[in-house]
Amino acid sequence: MKLSRREFAKANAAAIAAAALGLPAFSTASNLITEADMTRLDWNKAPCRFCGTGCGVMVATRDGRVVATHGDIKAEVNRGLNCVKGYFLSKIMYGTDRLTQPLLRMKGGKYDKQGEFQPISWDEAFAIMAEKTKAALTAHGPQAVGMFGSGQWTVWEGYAANKLMKAGLRCNNIDPNARHCMASAVMGFMRSFGMDEPMGCYDDIEATDTFVLWGSNMAEMHPILWSRVADRRLSQPQVKVAVLSTFEHRSFDLADIPMVFKPQTDLIILNYIANHIIESGSVNRDFVSRHTRFAKGADDIGYGLRATDPLEQKAKNAANANTWSDISFEQFAAFVKPYTLERAAEETGVPAERLKALAELYADPKRKVVSFWTMGFNQHTRGVWANNLIYNIHLLTGKISEPGNSPFSLTGQPSACGTAREVGTFSHRLPADMLVANPKHRATAEKIWKLPPGTIQEKPGFHAVEQSRKLKDGVLKVYWTQVCNNMHAGPNIMQEILPGWRNPEAFVIVSDVYPTVSAQAADLILPSAMWVEKEGAYGNAERRTQFWHQLVKAPGEAKSDLWQLVEFSKLFTTDEVWPAELLAQAPQYKGKTLYEVLFRNGQVDQFPTSDMAEGYANDEAAAFGFYLQKGLFEEYAAFGRGHGHDLAPFDTYHEARGLRWPVVDGQETRWRYREGHDPYVEKGSGVQFYGYPDNKAIIFALPYEPPAEAPDKDFPFWLSTGRVLEHWHTGSMTQRVDELYRAVPDALVYMHPDDAKELKARRGSEVKVISRRGEMRARIETRGRNKPPRGLVFVPFFDANKLINKVTLDATDPISKQTDYKKCAVRIELVSLA
Amino acid sequence: MKALFRWLSSYWTILRRPSVHYSLGFLTLGGFIAGIIFWGGFNTALEATNTEQFCISCHEMESNVYVELQDTIHYTNRSGVRATCPDCHVPHQWTDKIARKMQASKEVWGKIFGTINTRDKFLEKRRELAEHEWARLKANDSLECRNCHNFEFMDFTRQSQRARQMHSTALASGQATCIDCHKGIAHRLPDMSGVKGWE
Amino acid sequence: MRSLPLLLVLLASLAHAADYPLDAPAPDGRRPGGTLSQERATPPLAEDENKDLKRERNYPEQPPTIPHTIRGYQVDKNGNKCLTCHSRSNSAKTQAPMISITHYMDRDGQTLAAVSPRRYFCTQCHVPQQEVKPLVGNDFRTIDQLLQDEVQRAGQQQ
Repeated sequence: MKLSRREFAKANAAAIAAAALGLPAFSTASNLITEADMTRLDWNKAPCRFCGTGCGVMVATRDGRVVATHGDIKAEVNRGLNCVKGYFLSKIMYGTDRLTQPLLRMKGGKYDKQGEFQPISWDEAFAIMAEKTKAALTAHGPQAVGMFGSGQWTVWEGYAANKLMKAGLRCNNIDPNARHCMASAVMGFMRSFGMDEPMGCYDDIEATDTFVLWGSNMAEMHPILWSRVADRRLSQPQVKVAVLSTFEHRSFDLADIPMVFKPQTDLIILNYIANHIIESGSVNRDFVSRHTRFAKGADDIGYGLRATDPLEQKAKNAANANTWSDISFEQFAAFVKPYTLERAAEETGVPAERLKALAELYADPKRKVVSFWTMGFNQHTRGVWANNLIYNIHLLTGKISEPGNSPFSLTGQPSACGTAREVGTFSHRLPADMLVANPKHRATAEKIWKLPPGTIQEKPGFHAVEQSRKLKDGVLKVYWTQVCNNMHAGPNIMQEILPGWRNPEAFVIVSDVYPTVSAQAADLILPSAMWVEKEGAYGNAERRTQFWHQLVKAPGEAKSDLWQLVEFSKLFTTDEVWPAELLAQAPQYKGKTLYEVLFRNGQVDQFPTSDMAEGYANDEAAAFGFYLQKGLFEEYAAFGRGHGHDLAPFDTYHEARGLRWPVVDGQETRWRYREGHDPYVEKGSGVQFYGYPDNKAIIFALPYEPPAEAPDKDFPFWLSTGRVLEHWHTGSMTQRVDELYRAVPDALVYMHPDDAKELKARRGSEVKVISRRGEMRARIETRGRNKPPRGLVFVPFFDANKLINKVTLDATDPISKQTDYKKCAVRIELVSLA
Repeated sequence: MKALFRWLSSYWTILRRPSVHYSLGFLTLGGFIAGIIFWGGFNTALEATNTEQFCISCHEMESNVYVELQDTIHYTNRSGVRATCPDCHVPHQWTDKIARKMQASKEVWGKIFGTINTRDKFLEKRRELAEHEWARLKANDSLECRNCHNFEFMDFTRQSQRARQMHSTALASGQATCIDCHKGIAHRLPDMSGVKGWE
Repeated sequence: MRSLPLLLVLLASLAHAADYPLDAPAPDGRRPGGTLSQERATPPLAEDENKDLKRERNYPEQPPTIPHTIRGYQVDKNGNKCLTCHSRSNSAKTQAPMISITHYMDRDGQTLAAVSPRRYFCTQCHVPQQEVKPLVGNDFRTIDQLLQDEVQRAGQQQ
């Protein structure tokens, strides 16, 4: 914008005058528009809308529209850089098919499961939602309603949804799509440390000598963190990078030790490394004896399939998968002893010299090591174990909780940590790592929420995959999803999700911004506001909470998910949804609406709209008459303050470029559990894993167990699914940006050229990918970014026209209930050669 | 040593003595035919070693360089015309070819003693191996490239703007030869630090 | 005849599946409405646009897309093919645009003697474009278009 503003205005005025025939002429533009007005852009900070890295961006607005974005140079995470998706953020809200009004399936002016979508008003939409919900509650009780939310919910949206479901409707059937994404990481943390989320932070990248990527393709999925890894690796000669995966991908471009292993055998490698550390005398004895204890976890735990599946019936410990018993160091050493180098090389297919080099990186006491992982570990039928086993290695060597030594679980969604985990929107959780099954935790929540004892139900609700099954079985009658696209991203669409949603007994509501595959399968579509169309907060993978202001208005009648949740709560009175005995304990709530009980409770509504920063719109505050976001945040923060989850005061976050919790006395915490960094660690103790009462972390003895499904004669290929750099998750946003769409328009079947040859196919041939559950069609790619070994194909899941999840298996980790999207057996059939 | 000399000299005596049983014509003609058979056999054998099949019969070649070739335009492309290993790596002129084949005896040695029998050993040697090929192509003005890509017959109007620009200047003037710019077009590159143009 | 197995599979899946329809009318998105249970034919792989013509950016901060094919371009710890044309020292010879000054800056904004390794992997930000038509439109408006609107509105008010 360097050209003279006056010239610019005049030139444009002339151009418009010439072009716009029939418009009233105007002599000069400059007497109407001052120069400063012409080129001034409003710049504001916001976190990126996409992945869990949590990059900061600056957003320029003009005339109520986003006109530019760039990497925020003041943001610690990315210091001015964005990936290609981030650089195109400005365009994600402007797809021409934005949903702008509620749509209901109707025939003859009435709701009909097979009807055509017709526009209706918000009042009509809420009326039918309430009618269906009340009917389900009356006839079948709280277990007949469910909600599927998201790691893309803002913190207060997740909090409001959690409160509305678990307290208001007294229903624990609320789960986030983060269940598909990092539930195994959560359970890994909870089992090893008694407390969720990483001890370290991104600063570890600049402090370490070694990066080990366990099934994570950071080069594509966390590009900005990868740029920090590349920076470190290429600028410091001692730094080494080891990359493990079941196929070769872009992260291998930086690998000093590249390793392609057979699916599921990562468990063997992890145990081999532990064995190597013990046998080579590299155990940090002092650290291990002071800060850890040993346990043997239950084995033979099944695969999270339907209870009728033979695999589940055969499993000895399917019912008590998350149990363990104490053992000694010696017993642990004996347990991992059979995981020798020879066995590991033999069963994993990785050359022995590389495995040994990898083990040496961990064992060498002079080397600092950061381990990164994401979906390769988490989307794994033994994902919790894999998480536990990597902590074993870091704990045995004491390489943890200090700069440069860090087992680090990356996340895929912008607020998987901030909303799904910290707010506890899982079907078994409450805020701040608390559990619905724990009576003390329920009491704490009820106290903070000013609700009578017994409001919150004890039994965990249906998790993500179970929700689909319960819809199909007719148990769930009303189902509301927000900020996610489960018909596209969920596993086994053809046998479970689609029959579930289209079950005539079910009423499915989808809040979304575009007509996604999920919206197309819904019965009622609610148009949502997105990203900077509302005030929001996200929490990234390094415990950093980041806020943004509402910068533009949502189009048409689109409303934020927060408004939808809170407004909907007005349609229920306590008498309708609470039993009389519960209500008798809190007579003051009799006849009150859930809105009054949950959101006008003297806490959530305590901040007036005048508290808002000047110059920003806030559609929710305007609608309800108080600063809703601040009220929700401060009430939520009460759960964690003083309990190791301390959040700073609300307003601080609008100023800072995010802060990493616990924030105590205004100071963020970079390395938890370490004296000098973490205020919760007692003086003189050095390290305290205070998630457990004895301040010790647990080292777990867990074996290798086979995957739920493996290739055989009929289905000879492994199928792994995942993402690509240019598209985020199901592509609802990125595939509507021309440049990103044109970079990667279609999902392809990445395959080894010799496999293609054997199928009498080649690059570009159209094939069917067929499993025991369903099939999809796509084109073969034999070169480019992914190079699978023979016998494995990789298909990304972003493409709405090529739904690979029609093929995937809904087997989950039995502890975390997270789906294994990386392993199932398929057959490939040639459709046409070219 | 003496015995060997005696044995050799007895053969020498036989060779020196004129033939008693066969005519001169028979011997001349027979020698000629034998020569053809011998020569043909030699060349057939030589040609057999000059095929891709032979090259990739060693796993060192098959699982390293050949795998990499398969991704590239010299292996798969619009018209299906492709380069095989010897097209680029063995001179087409007979004398050069023999010279290269004699050099190759070192590679046979390497094969027998497992100099590059693992991927990591190969990667370690890759820069050295690549430099041999770059030097050879630089010295012969990229002869094996030009066997197919003849400058005289390039239609610049069918080339991309970038290619046109470089080919009509640096290449035309002889300032640069193919390999100067087109390193790593058929195989992955080694560590390129210090290589001209890659600084 | 080729559709016979398809038909059989379809019949089998119908027999196996629920006794209610899985597809219902819906608005078109990237995927046409009402097609969820169906398999869709796939478009052939498209070519990368290879015209070497610079494309307009939506705003100045945006990384330019790559106007040529990059098939076989090696960018790894061994070397960076892109820089053999786009580096400071090579760009004059090749007449390729030199990478911008930001690419020489470290995390703290200090300019280094050489390309910053944090910018080493070009395709994190710069991508080629295939010759395909978008599935749905995008009505993002550039600042220039908005300013024109303002002028136009001002004209109308007058």
